[in-house]
Amino acid sequence: MARERVSQADEWQSWANRYDIEGGIRTFESGLTVKVFVGALFVGLLMMPGSIYLSYVSGQSGAEAAPWVAVILFTELARRSFTTARRQELYMLLALTGAAVGSGMQYRNFIWYAYFINTPQAASYEIADKIPEWIVPAGDSVGVLTRSLLHPDWFLPIAIYLAGKFLGTLRFVSGQYILFRLTADLERLPYPMAPIQAQGATALAETTGKEETWRWRVFSIGSMAGLIWGFLYIGVPSLTGVMMSQPIQILKIPWIDFTQSIEGFAPTGVFAFRTDFGQMLIGFVMPFPIVMSEFITAMATQFILNPQILYRYEILHQWTPGLDVRGATLFNGLDFWISAGMGKSFSLALVGMAASIPMLIKLRRSQKQAGERGSFATPPNRGDFPIWLMGGMWLIGMVGFVWLIHWMVPNFPLSFLVGYAFLYTPINSYITARTYGVLGRDLFEIPYLHEITFILSRYEEIDIWFAPLPDEDYGRGTQGWRVLELTGTTFTSNLAATLLIMPILLVSGIVVLHFIWKIAPIPSAQYPFAQMMWPINATNECLWKTSLRDGNSQMLQAIRGDYVAAGFTSSLALYGMLWVFKLPSMWFYGIIGGLGTDPGSMVARLLGAVIGRFYMIKRFGMRRWYMFNPVLAAGFACGVGLIGMGTVAIALVSKAVIVKPF
Amino acid sequence: MEKLASLIIIIGTFLWLFSILVLEGRWQWQMFSALVLIIGIFCAHFWEELRDTDSDE
Repeated sequence: MARERVSQADEWQSWANRYDIEGGIRTFESGLTVKVFVGALFVGLLMMPGSIYLSYVSGQSGAEAAPWVAVILFTELARRSFTTARRQELYMLLALTGAAVGSGMQYRNFIWYAYFINTPQAASYEIADKIPEWIVPAGDSVGVLTRSLLHPDWFLPIAIYLAGKFLGTLRFVSGQYILFRLTADLERLPYPMAPIQAQGATALAETTGKEETWRWRVFSIGSMAGLIWGFLYIGVPSLTGVMMSQPIQILKIPWIDFTQSIEGFAPTGVFAFRTDFGQMLIGFVMPFPIVMSEFITAMATQFILNPQILYRYEILHQWTPGLDVRGATLFNGLDFWISAGMGKSFSLALVGMAASIPMLIKLRRSQKQAGERGSFATPPNRGDFPIWLMGGMWLIGMVGFVWLIHWMVPNFPLSFLVGYAFLYTPINSYITARTYGVLGRDLFEIPYLHEITFILSRYEEIDIWFAPLPDEDYGRGTQGWRVLELTGTTFTSNLAATLLIMPILLVSGIVVLHFIWKIAPIPSAQYPFAQMMWPINATNECLWKTSLRDGNSQMLQAIRGDYVAAGFTSSLALYGMLWVFKLPSMWFYGIIGGLGTDPGSMVARLLGAVIGRFYMIKRFGMRRWYMFNPVLAAGFACGVGLIGMGTVAIALVSKAVIVKPF
Repeated sequence: MEKLASLIIIIGTFLWLFSILVLEGRWQWQMFSALVLIIGIFCAHFWEELRDTDSDE
């Protein structure tokens, strides 16, 4: 029987429909109340230290749990108080708690550069003394050596960050809002993924009835699993790290490296089994064809392509026996995979463009025929803002931002900054807003834009690599406004809540990160994930940041035109052949994602996908399983987060009371 | 149009394989086959998206 051809848009939208439990509503109310504000701050700030700590210990922050914990607590409190929680309140609670718990991570670059500036890599690549002082104080400054973010040495980096944050808020709020009005009100684009985000809050709002619901049970199962797993994976090493010089790890963090074991039959192949089984929950929700094809391709890369073809033909020539996963990955990358990866990225951009342009033309034509173009008139009581006000805000934010960057890198050509700010950003944002409106995801992204810019500008100083560029994308944020609309939350209440909570979070984030940095140097044995990954990240960062220096850097030598072309053309050929044989486009994204990567990092995710696909869906039915998923994931992340929070508390207390030996 | 797009993609794929196996993977030949593939993929998507609109008209 001939296979029926399904367009990419239909394929992705049919997948999106699985998560779409409920439609939206169109009556608007404020979601901002005192209890929501206090509740979000309480849960968010309580879990923030644990989230930062976990990200350095295991590489996973667990921050996604906090909003759901807040919502579950809120709904249970409401139920036991014989009152109800409105969906607007719950949606606001989700958003505010997410912002609160993530507020510590916004300063993580300070810790990273405080480490980076004193690494042997930065010294050997001769960039340690060229890192600008608006990013990090000097390597021998008191603020860095005493690990104190509250020292006056940090004044300039923090002041620059805060100025950027203020201007960024002006630009992003206004830019997203204008594009939302354009695409959702005027052009009436459907935003197919928005109902999925909206359904979490709308579904939980109904649980404030009298009877016990399934959600509480599913959440509890997830939490218990998270607590047990979190204790074994995070708790034991963290607690023993407080008492012993070398922490005990029941399962090695972040992976068990089999690379040297397979080098006999698969030289240049890497296999490091990632021990974070929390990844199983990602496998539960990700489209099965993507997870499966990604894993199979990664296996084929490491056991066939690398050893049997690329190594045999001496394309991978720097590898030597005895290298671990980090060394083998670095040399394989320099020899081939960085170049091929660049080609893959360009193919993704091109495939996205090929899919989105006809789609947008079709939409425009069909709307013209039906005469369905919307108007700028807004629904009553939605809490809209005047367009001129938003336009003015964006202009002030962008002019200020360009001026700030020009102050940071005065010798970088201003014309590039102005071009990005007032030409590239609006066009790029509009394209993304439309693809989100039609397909619910971004299709078009130009890879290596910064690198291309730096080459074209002929600017060779290192400082530009540390400065932000005004190449922004407000398109993906337009979906958030659509979700507000679907949950019936007034726009004004959302903006008010964001502005109210921001100053509190800016202060609390830096204070908490300061104390976590005080516990132990990052990276160190106390933070195994950072200890394992940061040295290799430092090498990679050095390679990139020196790539354009003197036109003869290690990175420039690594980038070879024939390998970039191979990555680019093979990806296009793969996409084309899948289309010819009417196979799902998801396979393309899976195969591209798996090419060149380590299959060991995907085992837990694959396990989750297989269990979900072959057991859970059969056991519970597809609809129920996709209803359970977010709640189960929230419960699990909550359990792990509680363990992280507990261990960080014990670590902080032990550091505070430790007795000196004299 | 569907058959034409398929034909162009197949030609592009064979050209790429030829450039790898016979022409030692020179980037110029690979990029030429990429150009052919791009034309095929654009044709495919234009046909895919606009076929219903055309039939409606």
